[in-house]
Amino acid sequence: MVLFSFLYITMSSSWNIIGGYGGFISIGHNVFFGIGAYFSGFIYARYGISPFYTAVFAGMIATFFGFGVGLITLRVKGPSFIISSIALLMIFRTLFDRWELVGGAHGITLPHNNLSVEWSKIPHYYALLVLMVLSILLSWYVRHSKFGLALRSISHDEIKSEVTGINIKIIKVTAYAISAYLIGAAGAIWGDYLTYVRPNIFFIILIAANMVLMCILGGKGTVTGPIIGTIVIIFFNEFILANFGASELNIFFTGLLMILTLLYFPDGIIGSLKKRKLLPGFLDWD
Amino acid sequence: MEFLQVIILGLCLGFVYALMVSGLTLIFGVMRIVNLAHPILIISGAFVSYWLFIKLGLDPILSVPAAALAVALLGVLLYKLIFEKNAAQQTYSEMTVLLTFGTAMVIDGLLAFLFHNTQRTTSPGYATDAIFIGDIFIPLAQLYSGIISLVIIIVLAVFLKYSEFGIAIRATSQNRTSAELVGVNVKFVCLISFAIGCALAGSAGALVSFVFSFFPSRHWEWIAILMSLVVLGGMGSLTGAVVGALVLSVISSLVGAFYSPAWSTMVFFLALFLILIIRPMGLFGVRTD
Repeated sequence: MVLFSFLYITMSSSWNIIGGYGGFISIGHNVFFGIGAYFSGFIYARYGISPFYTAVFAGMIATFFGFGVGLITLRVKGPSFIISSIALLMIFRTLFDRWELVGGAHGITLPHNNLSVEWSKIPHYYALLVLMVLSILLSWYVRHSKFGLALRSISHDEIKSEVTGINIKIIKVTAYAISAYLIGAAGAIWGDYLTYVRPNIFFIILIAANMVLMCILGGKGTVTGPIIGTIVIIFFNEFILANFGASELNIFFTGLLMILTLLYFPDGIIGSLKKRKLLPGFLDWD
Repeated sequence: MEFLQVIILGLCLGFVYALMVSGLTLIFGVMRIVNLAHPILIISGAFVSYWLFIKLGLDPILSVPAAALAVALLGVLLYKLIFEKNAAQQTYSEMTVLLTFGTAMVIDGLLAFLFHNTQRTTSPGYATDAIFIGDIFIPLAQLYSGIISLVIIIVLAVFLKYSEFGIAIRATSQNRTSAELVGVNVKFVCLISFAIGCALAGSAGALVSFVFSFFPSRHWEWIAILMSLVVLGGMGSLTGAVVGALVLSVISSLVGAFYSPAWSTMVFFLALFLILIIRPMGLFGVRTD
């Protein structure tokens, strides 16, 4: 559960860079998660190099893809962008389902590490912890840098931002690529943690839905929002699982929570508290 | 000959796809809501037909009105509960897309919890039959569903073109403020067009129930397929949606027949991407933002 929190904080903080600051809602962001997992998993299965080393490169591959994809999809905004992000996810899902080199629908099975059972997950714990800290630092940096300022101005009005001399194309695509990096690296670690990499685990829309929901619930466009949102959702999910047990109901409640948040707290927990001046100082990193 | 065969099959399916997206494009035109919950509404309609078929032995074609009505009522409920506040302004917002996304998850989770994610299909007697015209065989299921879809689309087009209410709907989708000025009750128009859109989804669901096999979680795949059709045709344009559906359905059938069935859905996803690069507003669309 702690590992799960670390993973999702990394992902939702990274999503927040393009979705929260930039205003480009992507419901297919786990494409990068899957790409990272597949890249490292493939190398591990074929050449035996541990994903802990290749995670760095997995992130780079994800960034590279993010750059290429961003150049195409970030030309459009609003509904078209959201739709294109779903299309992207479906393209990759279909592709990896059919690609025999990486095992088709069965995916890649990775060898276990040779640590004893109670220690075997410790490396993942520290790796994800590092990624989480990096993602929060990155998010903080983007929020407070000139780059982040440009990004936020784009999210309000692209044309006006361009008039003030911001190269909107570069900023948008860079933000998209940056947000892909840590998600890709996290995917590499997570693939090793699960010891198998399959399309129906990494390329499902529910992961992306969770990322979006965590950000929105916590408050998108804030540094601490995704962290709080993630913790709340993870506890909520565990609560549902413990009480009702069925994963279908989990989808139901996730959707319900998303609707309720959007209807009644569009600013999220952090945003709403801030408006009412109730936000404790240690959570206000903006 | 095989070529012609594939094209005819593609066209039959194409009309079903066209019916599936017609409601989507109507709702977008009037309210600027990209309804990601549309595919799950189609599946809800399919479930209505399925249960009517299993319990009462009712032919899925005859249950088209029942499925349409049931889903339309569900649509009115959803509209009142969730979308009414956001439909009031005509500008598009990201929030409504996420709202429909959440709605889709809620219905998906509920259906999957109640009925489980098993493949289902209704099997009326004609589902496995086919007629032959020369060398070409046409499965009756595809033929009937294609014809019925075509009829419903024509009725919809005539309704939008000539009836007073249809004109009000078109006026609202063109310019809401002006429509309000000439005395159109915009709120009512929004409600009714949402209900009509959902009814179209329901009727498509009844046809889908014997053309495709369906299960609740399948709607994620259909979201992307349906979106590719409307994006090709241009959001909010009925003609565009029909043309987009026919073109892509035929191409996808050709790929499925001559290359590999596994890649036929890829056509839709790639088309969606290519269109976004070349012509973001679609072939028939105009810029909306």
